[in-house]
Amino acid sequence: MSAPMEVVLSADSAGQLWNCAVFDPHAGTNLLSYRGGNTSARSLTVLNGEYILGAQLGKNFINVWEIQRKDQLQQKVVCPGIVTCLCASPNGLYVLAGIAEAIYLWEVSTGNLLAILSRHYQDLSCMCFTDDSSHFVTGGKDNLALVWNLSSVVQLDSPHTPEPRHILSLHSLPITDIHCGLMGPQARVATASLDQTVKVWEISSGQMLLSVLFDVGIMSVTFDPCEYFLFCGGSDGNIFQVSLCTTSLSRDKTFQKDNDGNQVFKGHRNLVTCLSVSMDGTLLLSGSNDETVRMWDVQSKQCIRSITHKGPVTNAAIIPAPANMFVPDSRPSIPLPRFSRHLNPSEQGDAGGVCVRPGANTQDLEGTYLEKADELYSLMCAITDKSVFGDGENTKVRVSELEEEVRTLKKINKDLYEFSTQLLTKPN
Amino acid sequence: MTKKRKRQDDFQKVKLKVGKKKPKADNATDVNFRSKAIHLPEQLKQSNAGPTTHRQLNIKDLLSQLHHYNSNVKQGALVGLRELLSGHPTLVEQHTSAILSEVAALFTDKDGTVRAAAVRLLRFVSQCIPVERVAPFFPLLSAHLTCAMTHISESIQEDALRVLDVLLEHFPGLLSQRHNILLANFFELISQRRMGKKGGTGQDKPSKGRFVLSFNTNRSVTAQQWRLTVLLRLSRFLQAVVEERPLEEGMTNRNALEMWAGEKSSTTPIEVKWEEHAFGKGRIQMFEHSGATPTPHSTYRLRPDSNLAVGMNKDLNSAETVQGFAGTLVPLLLEIWVEAAGGERVQTDSGHLLSPESMALMFQILTILQLLRRLTPQGDQQDILDAWFRNTYLADFKHHFMKNFPYGLLEVARHKKKVDGKRFHQQAVVATVAGGNVEPLALNVTLCQVMVTLSLKGCSDGVGQDADWLGPIRDFIKETLSSGSKLSSKHLAALLEVVWRMIVTQRSRVVTDELLQAVYVQYQQRNLGVTVRTLLLSFFSQLYIEEHQNHPHIARSKILACWLASLPVQLVQLGSRNPQLSAHLLETVQSAAARGNKDLLNILQKRACSLYDPQDGCVVVLPVESQKKLVQILYFLPVIPPELLSCLSQVCNAGRVSASLATTLMRTIHLRSPLSGWSSGSQDVPVKDVDYLSFFFTTLTGFSSETLEALQHTDEDCLLPSSTLSPLSVLATTLEQFLHHWDVVEEVCHCLETLGSRAQCFDVIQTAIIKNLCGLAVVPDCLCTAVLRCIPLLLDINFLPSDTLLHFLSDCCLTMLNLLLQLEQSTRKRDRVWEACFTALSAVPRLLRLVLQSFRVCDLCEEELPLLAQILSLLLQHAQLRNHMMANASLLQHIIQDLTHFYSGETREQWLTDLLYCYSVTLSGPRANMGMREMY
Repeated sequence: MSAPMEVVLSADSAGQLWNCAVFDPHAGTNLLSYRGGNTSARSLTVLNGEYILGAQLGKNFINVWEIQRKDQLQQKVVCPGIVTCLCASPNGLYVLAGIAEAIYLWEVSTGNLLAILSRHYQDLSCMCFTDDSSHFVTGGKDNLALVWNLSSVVQLDSPHTPEPRHILSLHSLPITDIHCGLMGPQARVATASLDQTVKVWEISSGQMLLSVLFDVGIMSVTFDPCEYFLFCGGSDGNIFQVSLCTTSLSRDKTFQKDNDGNQVFKGHRNLVTCLSVSMDGTLLLSGSNDETVRMWDVQSKQCIRSITHKGPVTNAAIIPAPANMFVPDSRPSIPLPRFSRHLNPSEQGDAGGVCVRPGANTQDLEGTYLEKADELYSLMCAITDKSVFGDGENTKVRVSELEEEVRTLKKINKDLYEFSTQLLTKPN
Repeated sequence: MTKKRKRQDDFQKVKLKVGKKKPKADNATDVNFRSKAIHLPEQLKQSNAGPTTHRQLNIKDLLSQLHHYNSNVKQGALVGLRELLSGHPTLVEQHTSAILSEVAALFTDKDGTVRAAAVRLLRFVSQCIPVERVAPFFPLLSAHLTCAMTHISESIQEDALRVLDVLLEHFPGLLSQRHNILLANFFELISQRRMGKKGGTGQDKPSKGRFVLSFNTNRSVTAQQWRLTVLLRLSRFLQAVVEERPLEEGMTNRNALEMWAGEKSSTTPIEVKWEEHAFGKGRIQMFEHSGATPTPHSTYRLRPDSNLAVGMNKDLNSAETVQGFAGTLVPLLLEIWVEAAGGERVQTDSGHLLSPESMALMFQILTILQLLRRLTPQGDQQDILDAWFRNTYLADFKHHFMKNFPYGLLEVARHKKKVDGKRFHQQAVVATVAGGNVEPLALNVTLCQVMVTLSLKGCSDGVGQDADWLGPIRDFIKETLSSGSKLSSKHLAALLEVVWRMIVTQRSRVVTDELLQAVYVQYQQRNLGVTVRTLLLSFFSQLYIEEHQNHPHIARSKILACWLASLPVQLVQLGSRNPQLSAHLLETVQSAAARGNKDLLNILQKRACSLYDPQDGCVVVLPVESQKKLVQILYFLPVIPPELLSCLSQVCNAGRVSASLATTLMRTIHLRSPLSGWSSGSQDVPVKDVDYLSFFFTTLTGFSSETLEALQHTDEDCLLPSSTLSPLSVLATTLEQFLHHWDVVEEVCHCLETLGSRAQCFDVIQTAIIKNLCGLAVVPDCLCTAVLRCIPLLLDINFLPSDTLLHFLSDCCLTMLNLLLQLEQSTRKRDRVWEACFTALSAVPRLLRLVLQSFRVCDLCEEELPLLAQILSLLLQHAQLRNHMMANASLLQHIIQDLTHFYSGETREQWLTDLLYCYSVTLSGPRANMGMREMY
């Protein structure tokens, strides 16, 4: 049996059988389970495809497993307080944790605590990275969602304390969930709140694009990858599907069930705590306090499968299957260092290392999206125009040129090698 | 001979003699007549070509008369035009072009009365024409205006200002677009450009193109008064430029309340309608949104700025252009002030007392300075401009303006009026032109505003380099605010702006507290007007909400904390008197509660019971939006005590809040309880489990135990008496109340359903029902339905309900079924009652049996038999109940046998036929047929 492309990772708050488990989304079989403790809501995350991090419920540490060693904790990261939410950046370089009202940012490669951001007034409830790890959004029980630029947060010598790039302050009750769409800094982000609304914002400008009012508080929210639909898990167990393609012009609307896309998935009996959509947008995964994780077919709104847990589901997500997950002999490419508990920049000086952090403008090197689009377009045109292949004569000439170049390069390489061996072997 | 004689006849010689009168010549003209001009003020003929004036002149005649050489005719024509157009407004639209061009040409007429008439006509015409129709002719108008303003004759210049007034009043937007020409004209009016060596007042090195004040003795008013009138117009014009800025800048339409709310530039998003593109054939033009590194704001604009102001080579938006303009203007203003103040000082030796005239002058100067700063809309540009002003002019301003700061009004002695009565009269005229007397307070406040913008940002404490002049300002503000006098909202807004600026720039806790204390004194005054109160309120709330985090000295201010803590009390006191103010208060309270402000939450906790009082608390008296806010605030309360919960339960049921809001309220309580399993990990317990359950039970019943107790002893008419068929006496509630309670019960059931352990939850509810409800003889119908509705939903399969509960339920069920038969009129209530009974009967085991058992036919009187039969046929008709009925078939058979037995009527009634038919259909089995046979 070949390993599945995507897996379901879920955890419940009872943790009787296991802390978190991996299921096959199509067959529903339990593939792996990780033991030890239990995980609090919105705090289970996969770091770099090699580690699983989960914050212990009600305790001040984070459990870390190597992804292939399911029976044994790799380490426990002790934190200054109870971790309410946890998130690893998609590029695997940073780990964010919400502890009380402060955001802690660790660098994975060194384990240094880079920043403690305390702009929230009350406990954090959720946090989310953009897919390119350039920004992150945090939401708290103080009704605020903050958009942060990662590179501005990790600036070493900045005299100012880091400021969020945008403050999204239109909710009137605590934020319960945040979901970031694709497209990096141009993504749209959806925030769900107990005030019975879900709002969609633009990260680049911080403006609200859409606000949908429901009749129940919304506990979880997600997009499908194409952002055709918005899925909102209510506190009464219904999951609402909102079509984002409708042509209504108003920014505020009230959810009403209709035939063109606005639908309700009925099945859960208690509040829906987590939602996730598969890569192809056909499967919806939902976890609820009624102790089940359900798999839905988005097209037909049917519940395909229900996986019963032993306690209220705290985390459930469809993730691309990490390469190491089903290879018991594999090792993580980098060992996870001890995470430091204190913000101590002077320590880095003692180690004598040079700390390199991405500057605010590293992204300038890449072309703009418009240029990329043009490039892509010309490439696509080129294939249809056959200009890549050209006629036979040109290709031959080109191939011989390239072979010539390879030969030259090999020669240079050889010379370099001989020269350096001479230099090294020469007795001095 | 004859010829000779004849010739003599022809030419007779007239002999003139000395002493005799000279005879008159035959051809002498008799000049003994008087000539009179024939004046044709009106035409005789009645022309039918359009309407005419009372002089029968139509518009063509009048327009042609405007070219007449005689000024009287011109004036008459202007007056006639005015009459004609006011009588026939449609003519204005037809002849806009002609009228405007002809009238504009008369701006520079050499006769004063004609000009005055022209201005009057212009004023009238501009009332009639909308702005967009004037726009095409505006270049012409402004060209004539410019011509008049730069005219060599002083009186024409003066009248040009009147024209400007009219245009400013009606077309400020159009006028402000032509600022590059007009601003230069203003300079020309009060000064002259020095060319080369031709210096007017003889300064040493007159640089080329520099303006110096001109002085003209020919004017009818003094130079100072003239300058005042010009400055007044200039400030009005600048005001128009600032206000009529294209909307894209986003700063124009902020009102007085937001004036201090920080210098954030906002962007206006564009709306793209996809329908327009969906069927378009062309490729959609893509615009670079933000690239790989997005800009902080999406600055995309539909139209670039340069296209907007067509023909404007310099736009008054950037700091550089404003600097250039201000570089010319500010020295002139200073010079004017020096001259005026110098003249003052001769008369008085106390510098801080000013005559009304110079006070008005200074006020205009300061207003212009203020407007100059506001010309640049963007925040960063404004900072540049502020810095430039500070570097260039701070010393001058300090020297000229701040030396004698707080200014007062000089009392003009009476006898002076006699000495130069004429001058004084003119002065009064000018003063009225200048918009009345300027109060010293307004002057001082404006001065503060101007000076404070010059203060350095981020100055660490009060003893910085600006302390020498900021000190007096601070003292003045403190004194003004805390003197206890009532300020008008305009002055107050300006003062608060100054306070805001000082607090933000001077990061000193002492200064902040002093200033806030002064504002707070003002706030605490009683009987403030609504606008003033709102202003103060929004000042504090903005200060708290926006600047709180960035400035720790504000966050730590005791006054702010004190103010916050007083809010809940104010809310309670305000009640329903001013809903807008309450909404404003609630907004601040909500954001403070969301931020977990401890002081506020404590006070809120203390006052919660009065805020959420079911009789006259804010939650029931305020409008819906505020009610919603109050319910949301509930979420943030650290502890919800039992007393508050009992209030809230009554609020839910009282019907003064909508059902949806009551639902939200219950959900909030539900979420705050640890039983809901959402807020895991928090240490504190806002709602105790006992309180939680009792809250939901009370809400479920809809009546407090006292009310129910009192109900047992009333003998009202609305009670339906108990009988054998309905064991309980029923209080029929209104349809509205019933439906509201139904919605509430739905939510209660849902909340209780999602609790962790169903069996335990049911046990608790069962005990509560047995203890509180089972003994009742009189019950409201909504309570009965609620119980019947909730029990089947909460029932656990493994848990058997107790007998007491079942008996109570069967009583309820029977009563409701009985009630059902009487509820013919309202189907909505009927449907719900039936739904409740039906689900209870089908879901609760043994309930149907108990109900059937309690039909004791022998005890019924004759009239009740049809009722019983109807109930039975109702139950039998329902398909879903069929299985249950089958299970109790023997009992049913027994009842029907009794029924036929006891019915002693001679003829078989319709109801009996119906019942027997239903029975036979339901139990259509061999056994049933057998039973039927036995019966007959």
